[in-house]
Amino acid sequence: MKKTLVLTVNGERHELQVSADATLLRVLRDELGLYGTKRGCDTSACGCCTVHVDGNSVYACAVYALSVDGSAVTTIEGLGNGDRLDPLQDAFIRAGAVQCGYCTCGMIMSARELLAGTPKPDEEQIRHAIAGNLCRCTGYTKIVDAIKMAAGS
Amino acid sequence: MGGADLIGKSVTRPDALDKVTGGRGYPVNVNLPGMLHGKLLRSPYAHARVRRIDTSEAQRLPGVKAILTARDVPQIPFCPVYFVPSDGETLIRDMLILGDHVRFAGQPVAAVAAISEAIAEAALALIDVDYEELPAVFDPEQAMADGAPQLHDGVARNIAKNPSFEFGDVEAGFAEADHIFEGVYQTQRVHTCYMEPRVCVIDCDRDGHFTVHSSMQHIFGLREKLAYALGIDESRVTVMKPPYIGGGFGGKLDMGYIEPLAALLSQKTRRPVRIEQTRYEDFICTTRNPIKMWLKTGVKADGTITARQAKSILDSGAHATHGAQVIMVHGLFGMTFPYRCPNKKWEGFTVYTNNIIGGGYRGYGAPQGCFAVESQIDEICEKLGLDPIEFRIRNALRKGDPHPFNPAWTLNSYGYEEALRRGAERIGWATRKPAGSSSGVRKRGIGVGTQGIWVSGCMGFPDIYEHTGAIVKLNRDGTADVATGTVDIGSGAITALSQIAAAELGIGVDKVRLVSASTDTVPFDAPTHASRVTYSSGLAIKAAAAEAKKRVFEIAAGLLEANPDDLEMIDAQVRVKGSPQSSLALTEVIRVAETPFIKDTLAGPRPSSPPQYKGTIMGSSSLAPPENPSPAAAMFAEVEVDTETGQVKVLRCVYAHDLGRLINPNGAEGQVEGGIQQGLGYALMENLVFDQDNGACLSADFLDYKMPTAVEMPRVIESIFVETNEPSGPFGAKSLSEQCVTVPAAAIAAAVYNAIGVRITELPITPERVLRALGKL
Repeated sequence: MKKTLVLTVNGERHELQVSADATLLRVLRDELGLYGTKRGCDTSACGCCTVHVDGNSVYACAVYALSVDGSAVTTIEGLGNGDRLDPLQDAFIRAGAVQCGYCTCGMIMSARELLAGTPKPDEEQIRHAIAGNLCRCTGYTKIVDAIKMAAGS
Repeated sequence: MGGADLIGKSVTRPDALDKVTGGRGYPVNVNLPGMLHGKLLRSPYAHARVRRIDTSEAQRLPGVKAILTARDVPQIPFCPVYFVPSDGETLIRDMLILGDHVRFAGQPVAAVAAISEAIAEAALALIDVDYEELPAVFDPEQAMADGAPQLHDGVARNIAKNPSFEFGDVEAGFAEADHIFEGVYQTQRVHTCYMEPRVCVIDCDRDGHFTVHSSMQHIFGLREKLAYALGIDESRVTVMKPPYIGGGFGGKLDMGYIEPLAALLSQKTRRPVRIEQTRYEDFICTTRNPIKMWLKTGVKADGTITARQAKSILDSGAHATHGAQVIMVHGLFGMTFPYRCPNKKWEGFTVYTNNIIGGGYRGYGAPQGCFAVESQIDEICEKLGLDPIEFRIRNALRKGDPHPFNPAWTLNSYGYEEALRRGAERIGWATRKPAGSSSGVRKRGIGVGTQGIWVSGCMGFPDIYEHTGAIVKLNRDGTADVATGTVDIGSGAITALSQIAAAELGIGVDKVRLVSASTDTVPFDAPTHASRVTYSSGLAIKAAAAEAKKRVFEIAAGLLEANPDDLEMIDAQVRVKGSPQSSLALTEVIRVAETPFIKDTLAGPRPSSPPQYKGTIMGSSSLAPPENPSPAAAMFAEVEVDTETGQVKVLRCVYAHDLGRLINPNGAEGQVEGGIQQGLGYALMENLVFDQDNGACLSADFLDYKMPTAVEMPRVIESIFVETNEPSGPFGAKSLSEQCVTVPAAAIAAAVYNAIGVRITELPITPERVLRALGKL
């Protein structure tokens, strides 16, 4: 049975009919076509699906969509301003922090939450902030560099 | 910049902007109109016969469009490995798309296509399978014993492959030795952990032609394997090249069950069918085979190796898949080739068990060998009081030596010693303390591991493809389209290949675009594997670019009234060498080539330029590289071992590598850093664990399978690139990727020994094993 879900995603209000077992990840990808949020594991362990719900980063695969009814959701598509990239997106490009890129969007969302609360994080704060986001290509070195670059630290 | 000066400069990935803003190009995002969703029913038993399958109830579920069981699919035994041709005489074809003999827990027995994933999933629960459980065997040594359950007909003692070789006279070599060392080294089963799950979308049209989208490392391999397993001509399959995929590392180097099943479901329903694996399904396929290695080495008192003998048993799991190839690469490149030693003998066993199937994984047999060989060298040096650096250099191959793989080739570029010495200096080798001498609870140590011989592709390997090709086409705006079958699996191939094309053409790298391709439109290309892309695909792209440039010069020579041989192209300008004032913009040459032959002018129609100048300027290539030059790698690790908790922390890594010529420094560092991450996980934490009673995988998710996060990774990773300028390589380049994964376990294990004075010869070096080694458990 489907129920009505109201979500504001990247500033745009959506009213959708979703089933009780639909995760936020499924709604974002399958209903709203927001492919930037990736499925890597479906068991809240890899971080590829990290998005913000009312400003807090969550694994979208671990959240039932109806449980965040009425919330404001930000995905990677909601970062930056028009053609202007978020400083983190820009820094990930410049630092060479992107390889296969499948983890990148979730990684940036976790880093964005960190910088919102801690504008000048040290290296340990950065590493712990992204410890819930797995990357298999980079060894995280250039990801940490990128976050430092975006923070100007 | 627009010429050879592009080589060695860090260049931004052309796909980075797309990836940081969402990344639409992954195969997981392919969505076709009318697409159905497939799911596989997998056996809970490790060894069983399917007596009967009843799908009638599932069939009646609304939304279910098709169900396949063994009787609905071709029963053509195949081998899924992309880089070996299916008709190869020695190939082990032992898999079926669906069969009635289950050999591992998780093997598919049926497939469903439905209008949604949820309905397909629900239908699986309605399929009734009657299994006859059979005795299973999970240990390869037990599988080789008399009376063990037999997995495949006609395969005595479950030995799928039993290669061996001998050089010189090992008995004489051991007799000559002053000391003989023996050890047993065991490695574990690990997964590549690409982040994008394996996925495919396959559409069978009314003419029976299949169009395939898939997350894989080889478009031509998938075309060939799929056609073979389905029993159809290759020309009935078109595999689209994805713009990029979410990682591979060898884990997408073979056809999965999902591709033939999606194809058949599509054929049956006349609708596109998508199958995306769950992470559990990813974990139970394409793993790095565990190898147990018995290794014996004879040395003289001065540290000269006189003989080496080894036996390796590889747990292949239920099918041979890559196991038959991995064992050879392991024996040759892991154990036999790296050091000068006239007397060597090796025997390998690829053994069937009821464990999950193996696969390709970066390093392909070398990490297992490197861990054993380098650990034993560390032990030899320790016992004989020799310096591990000097010992290795004494026994190492040298520039000018014949290539151990093919004596017709010479090691024309070989920087092993330089890598080792520069790395040693950077880590502070001279300050290394005696093993176990550091005081306190947390003990520090430094260790080294090396891999002296490795590949730049598969040139010279029996039954393995290596030829490759490209098409380079110039556009009116002065840009170049480069079409190749090479899939960028994340490693930055797309960047390095763009640089090579731009450097050869003499245009900016931003003017080069790696364009879409499919098996229909580009020449054959071997897979993205075996550290081959920069070298082999680089040579093909350079050759195609050179041909396009030759055409530019032919036209420009006429326009400039010069000899084509006297021309050069720099910064998109065609110039007469030595007379830069006599030049022509590349766009002008292309304009001449592309404009209509007759130009309508105010004075009436006039020929625009001679007809021989007309036609799109392009070049193509399809070639096999001339050689297979070896890179060389040395890694140094500094660790801290907590002797109370058993935890090992890697503090610092220095990785030195001879890659011939550095094309893209930022990209090369990324390969090293990511490679060390995988090697560190292999050394310390990663392990697929199985229930020994029923063969079920107990760590098939990222909660139980621990791979390094940003917290576990060392804060300092230093890359040193030794440039020896390989004469056969594009702009002097050879390979990088796989050695970065191969050497860390050996270096970290040696560092742990140096810290605590006790040697651990089984991976991963978990806290439990450390405490056990210290006698605390």
